Amino acid sequence: MKPVTINFRSKAAQTLADAQIQQSIEHVYTGFFKGRLLAAAETDNWEDLRTKGKAIKDHTIAHLDYYLGMLADSVEKNGGRVFFAADAAEARQYIIDLAHKRNIKTVIKSKSMVSEEMGLAEAMNTEGFETVETDLGEYIIQLANETPYHLIAPAVHKSRSDVAKLLDDDYKDGDRIPDATELTMMARKKLRGVFERADMSVTGVNFAVAESGSIALVTNEGNGRMSTTVPRVHVAVMGMEKIIPSIQDLSTMLRILIRSATGQRISTYVTMVNGSRKFDEEEGPEEFHLVIMDNGRQKLLEDPQMRESLNCIRCGACLNACPVYRKVGGHAYGWVYPGPIGAIVSPVMTGVKDASNLPSASSLCGACHDACPVKINIPRMLLELRWRTAEGSTDKDERTSSAKERGIWKAWRVGMMGRKRFDIGSRLANLAMRPLAKNGWLKKAPPPISGWTSTRDFPTISARSLKSKLSKRSKGGK
Amino acid sequence: MADRAKFLAAVTASLGRTVVLVPNPDSATAGFDDGVLAKSNAEMAMADANTRSRELVDQMADAAATAGWKVHRACNPETASDLVASICEEKKASSVLRSKHEVLDQIGIESAVTSTGATLGITEHFGDNSSALVDNSKSSAFSADIGITGVDYAIAETGTIVLHPRSGLSRLISLAPPTHIAVLRHGEVLDSLDELFAMERSDFMSGKLAGSMNLISGPSKTADIEGTTVTGIHGPLEVHLIILDHG
Amino acid sequence: MPDYSLNPPLPNRVTLFASCMVDQLAPSVGESAVDVLEHLGVSVEFLDNQTCCGQPAFNSGFRSEALPVGTRFIELFEQVDGPIVVPSGSCAAMVRNYYRDLFRDDPKLLERSSRVAERVFELIEFISRFFGTEAIVGQLNTSATYHKCCHLLREIGIDGEPSAMLSNIEGLEMIPLERADVCCGFGGAFSVKMPDISSAILDEKLDFIEATGSSTVIAADMGCIYQMQGGLRRRGSDVQVLHIAQILAESLRNGSSHGAAL
Repeated sequence: MKPVTINFRSKAAQTLADAQIQQSIEHVYTGFFKGRLLAAAETDNWEDLRTKGKAIKDHTIAHLDYYLGMLADSVEKNGGRVFFAADAAEARQYIIDLAHKRNIKTVIKSKSMVSEEMGLAEAMNTEGFETVETDLGEYIIQLANETPYHLIAPAVHKSRSDVAKLLDDDYKDGDRIPDATELTMMARKKLRGVFERADMSVTGVNFAVAESGSIALVTNEGNGRMSTTVPRVHVAVMGMEKIIPSIQDLSTMLRILIRSATGQRISTYVTMVNGSRKFDEEEGPEEFHLVIMDNGRQKLLEDPQMRESLNCIRCGACLNACPVYRKVGGHAYGWVYPGPIGAIVSPVMTGVKDASNLPSASSLCGACHDACPVKINIPRMLLELRWRTAEGSTDKDERTSSAKERGIWKAWRVGMMGRKRFDIGSRLANLAMRPLAKNGWLKKAPPPISGWTSTRDFPTISARSLKSKLSKRSKGGK
Repeated sequence: MADRAKFLAAVTASLGRTVVLVPNPDSATAGFDDGVLAKSNAEMAMADANTRSRELVDQMADAAATAGWKVHRACNPETASDLVASICEEKKASSVLRSKHEVLDQIGIESAVTSTGATLGITEHFGDNSSALVDNSKSSAFSADIGITGVDYAIAETGTIVLHPRSGLSRLISLAPPTHIAVLRHGEVLDSLDELFAMERSDFMSGKLAGSMNLISGPSKTADIEGTTVTGIHGPLEVHLIILDHG
Repeated sequence: MPDYSLNPPLPNRVTLFASCMVDQLAPSVGESAVDVLEHLGVSVEFLDNQTCCGQPAFNSGFRSEALPVGTRFIELFEQVDGPIVVPSGSCAAMVRNYYRDLFRDDPKLLERSSRVAERVFELIEFISRFFGTEAIVGQLNTSATYHKCCHLLREIGIDGEPSAMLSNIEGLEMIPLERADVCCGFGGAFSVKMPDISSAILDEKLDFIEATGSSTVIAADMGCIYQMQGGLRRRGSDVQVLHIAQILAESLRNGSSHGAAL
């Protein structure tokens, strides 16, 4: 998927003006966010689990080369094939070549953000393979020719009538809108046929276990199970960070992932596959391929300030918690990963310059940090990236701030470096504001305050500072 | 094409090193526990499942109901058999598939199902999974009305049943038919995911890891349309858990 | 942070860091903070040379501008001992949690900043930690709702304490605020740089505030207070947004006439 992070402001404005999307997206708070809070509350050792999850991921990422080598060995020992892809193009080509070699006709895809990075479904359709998304949300998005809106709820912005138009050829505006059950059953019917004829599947990976070469897949729908059962070729794709050392680590990681994602204690299906079908099994793929992709992750890994972002297990909790995501929606972020996690990984993976609005689009409220099951300090990383775009701190070419903006902050610094200037500046501001103010508030102000006054009244600077008031008080003038 | 050596060398360089550093065994992960410890953890888990079986079964029943199973308690095999028959009748099933789990014979599954007029089939390839046989079992699973299995384990924490697909236990019979019935016995319920993965790791350490494992917790479901939960998107619309309390 | 609470006697002298906003925009909040602290028997010193901790520039990414201002803050507050109290969770968070990033390339300043940082307390944090949430018993006849400012809640970890303190004020009817812990949309320069997004978040907050029917919103950080008050005024609402220090001080003034305090 080609990043279009540069359009953040205009895309955000579109979503802010779309009443239907604003209403649909509420579900991420009322459903997922509240669900996570309840799940955490009923889990006795919730904070310990988060601490443990963070420790497992910190350890794994710090030894990523070791564990990737171990994982590849284990998968091969299980009879699987491993392909290391430096970027999305290499990964895509490997899968397409494989499909040609195996005479594949129908490919079923199970939800995978990494395959979105590759733009895989579109590319495979272009190559002549019938390629169908099987997660219901992804299927809806594919029919709408859009990209996912959310990490775990790709079609959260769609209304029932939107979905009816996509699933039911006979549906017209003004018809009775089918309910969610009717729509889901329409999709079941359509997708059943696809499952039965599929000869290749592409799935994501929730966790890859280094020691055993196991792939854990978490779904509620069962498409992950279908994908690892019916087709003769199974390709699992993963970002190189989606790895944990031991089978035993799965209990911690699954608990925090699922509770943080949907608030469930467990998803309906957790599937572990250890390579292709074993000799005594009734069915299952004849071939298993694991594609391990970098695609810019090394830039996060080599950066000590950003490395922690590779701990992410893609639960979506930071999106649900984020007041900005809940207003601007998933498409504004312009690449595969929306919300707070997207605002820190997209700039590094796709280029800080175009994405400079992403780290700025945050009130730094910290709700994402609070919600993260592996405690990624997202606000801290947003601030790191702001430094890069404001001052070009790591690379002069990454600076996107305007000369005017830099001038304002220089002037601010001058004003703050001495108490006299601080007081004089404030008194002058007070004098300038006073004629325009009513009851101490401004309705309109010149830039840069005009942004504020477009929607809110602005307070005037006080005629006297606290210093002056306190000194009068200490002289007995209280 | 990025080869493995080149890829991994680049990762090592990104970590600021020139050679791969072997992790310290005192790390956060359980990956350094040896086979002996893994085995004793697994034995403890199994012993716990037996000594606390009554309590764990009760917890399982509650958690399973929360997860969306229709939970039935059967005080003896005959009751379990009647429950299976009545579900077959209610679903007007004509084609039923079973796994090879022993508990199904114990409750007399054959007569329970056939007495309702349905056929009862089993897929068992005994290692001969030539594509014709596999295609055959796939199509019978997709056309079946009900799939019936025992459980390999269950997990009280989450209301989960665990199946290790193998000869006589198709991956599809708990997935493709619109109704799935699982029959559970005392002693099969583990406390939590910790115990399950302890056993799984012990299997791995002793070279006996199964080809795959499915954890199933309720019916197939989705909330992808307006956040409304709907069951039965791809897998079963209805799942029954029959707990055999006898013995 | 040293646990003073285990080491009586209680602090009887603190230094006030007003924060630039309280100092120049809302001095009455600073005076209220002094009133409340003095009521508790704590004398308050004010360093006349103080300006800002550097947060505005730091949060906007201009660390080279924030660095000298932060350094100035350290140099100034190194001159005094004992607790430094600030009526802002945001400024307290800057010094306690973000100076380690601002100064990370200068080990000496980093060390000095961490010694100052461990003496910095947000006002409510300071009171509840050393004197308890029941230390202030005043009187105020009004209805109010409480908004949890993000940095006080998540960076400093003060959650239920403000409500506990407010519940001791006689006559004050506290009405729960739906989504009280969700951001008001202020976010410093964010509120000016991306006003459309900031205001959309604010609108949700104001709807919940108006739904409480209370006449007053209590909060603990001036940025959030101005964001909410500015938005309410634009809506034509009479609801007042006040700093918790103002509420506590006001309740003490009323309460002292009843002999409830002092």
